Amino acid sequence: MFGNKNDVPLDRDASSRFLPWLIAMMVYLATMSLIIAITMNKLANRWDQGLSSSLTIQIPAEPSAEKRRTLEKQLKTFITKIENLDNISRVEQLNDTELNKLMEPWLGKDILLHDLPIPYLISIELDSSSAKTIDEIKLILAQDIPNASVDDHQRWLGNLLGLTKIIQIIALLVVILVGGAAALMVILVTRMGLAIHRQVVELFHHMGAHDSYIASRFQFHALKLSIVGGLSGLLLAGITVASFSSLLGQANSAILPTLTFTSGEWGLLLLMPLSASLIAMMTARLTVLRSLALMP
Amino acid sequence: MDFKLLVRFQDVHLRYGSGPDVLHQVNLTLAPGSFHFMVGPSGAGKSSLLRLMYLAHRPSSGRLSIFGRDVSQQDRKELTMLRRRIGIIFQDFRLLDHLTALENVALPLTITGQSLDKVRRNVSELLSWVGLADYLDAKPPTLSGGQQQRVAIARAVIARPSLLLADEPTGNLDDKIAERLLFLFEELNKRGTTIVVASHNEGLVNRFNHPVFKIVNGEVRLIRNQQNSPVTPTAENM
Repeated sequence: MFGNKNDVPLDRDASSRFLPWLIAMMVYLATMSLIIAITMNKLANRWDQGLSSSLTIQIPAEPSAEKRRTLEKQLKTFITKIENLDNISRVEQLNDTELNKLMEPWLGKDILLHDLPIPYLISIELDSSSAKTIDEIKLILAQDIPNASVDDHQRWLGNLLGLTKIIQIIALLVVILVGGAAALMVILVTRMGLAIHRQVVELFHHMGAHDSYIASRFQFHALKLSIVGGLSGLLLAGITVASFSSLLGQANSAILPTLTFTSGEWGLLLLMPLSASLIAMMTARLTVLRSLALMP
Repeated sequence: MDFKLLVRFQDVHLRYGSGPDVLHQVNLTLAPGSFHFMVGPSGAGKSSLLRLMYLAHRPSSGRLSIFGRDVSQQDRKELTMLRRRIGIIFQDFRLLDHLTALENVALPLTITGQSLDKVRRNVSELLSWVGLADYLDAKPPTLSGGQQQRVAIARAVIARPSLLLADEPTGNLDDKIAERLLFLFEELNKRGTTIVVASHNEGLVNRFNHPVFKIVNGEVRLIRNQQNSPVTPTAENM
């Protein structure tokens, strides 16, 4: 049904030379945007899982030794009560070494904690994030140590998660915009091809070629070029990701994302050149069919 | 509707866009197996009349029937099928320079989905018939004007059209070669193909005994019938 595939000499057009490069850039941008969206999503999940199931309780230091001893007894009672609750993974009062380590960035090494009014800190980790458990902890705390405060990280975690959501939405918008821009580009290139080969197209039409036959010449040409461009763009994105991944690995920071993907995510990334090729092919086909429809 | 007529124009007008009439109240009929010349000065409307016949345009008004089908009533798909029964020889040949002579001639078959391998034998035979057996793989730019013209003729007849339209096929040829070309058309006509040849060379046309239409300022008149005698204007042939 395809006849002679080379009967419209589209390969010789100038447009054939720049279309793969444009598609490569588009696919590169779309793939990088998608990678950013995926990575931000994973990072947000990691932060969410890591922090929404943990609490930090802060109790102001007592200046007098007597009151301090009373408070330490209250702390032990509180910790025992918390350990007996359901859904508790770990309860730990931070010791002097751990407090030193926390203060080190601001106050330097070898500080004398007892000379400073450093608060007591209790770290609680839950098996799973649960508002009920957090409420129970807050209730016990209010009864046992009323002047203590609870930090369940929700405020800054909420802000951070909101920010990652915005970045994800922007990244996905970029993917959609890039798809639209690619389609517009293919329309222009196809129209250019139709103008250059108008006489050939008319000849085929007068000889009795179906519109779909003529359109197939342009659509397979667009498909071929966009596959070349799409794979090039994906390869460039792969090189960029590998470079970033190596840099992030060297940084070895828990807060930074890791650029590893599941097979499903790889599939989604591979869809980028495939989608670009399909968009290019269908756009070229529809452009030619619309143009031919103007002929009798 | 008269199914015995291959082509029938009834009060046909043609204008491009909002311009004036290019063809004005055309009434003519072509019977199957007939051979007609169409003469007239350049710009008189010969090519426009042929363009109507090969369905590049629909009439602005009036009725045009090809193969018994009213062109105005047919949808685009049906017109496509009608076009496959019409062979066209363009004045400028319109050969595709990047294809070989064989591929050019095979085009009317390959565009219908037939593979080049399947039609290669038929195409080769036809090219041999027009004297181009040694040029199957030659590309048009390497062929002389006369050879290109024969490729164009072979392409127009490869699908065995019922109607063959030739627009100024003798335009760039000397009289002797032009005459040989018209003998070739007569040969095709004897095999049953209806032929219409548009030419501004009335001297050449007069050497052949076929009916002649003359187009002047968009009006078509039969000026000579089959018996090679002038036609007196009547309501029928005006």
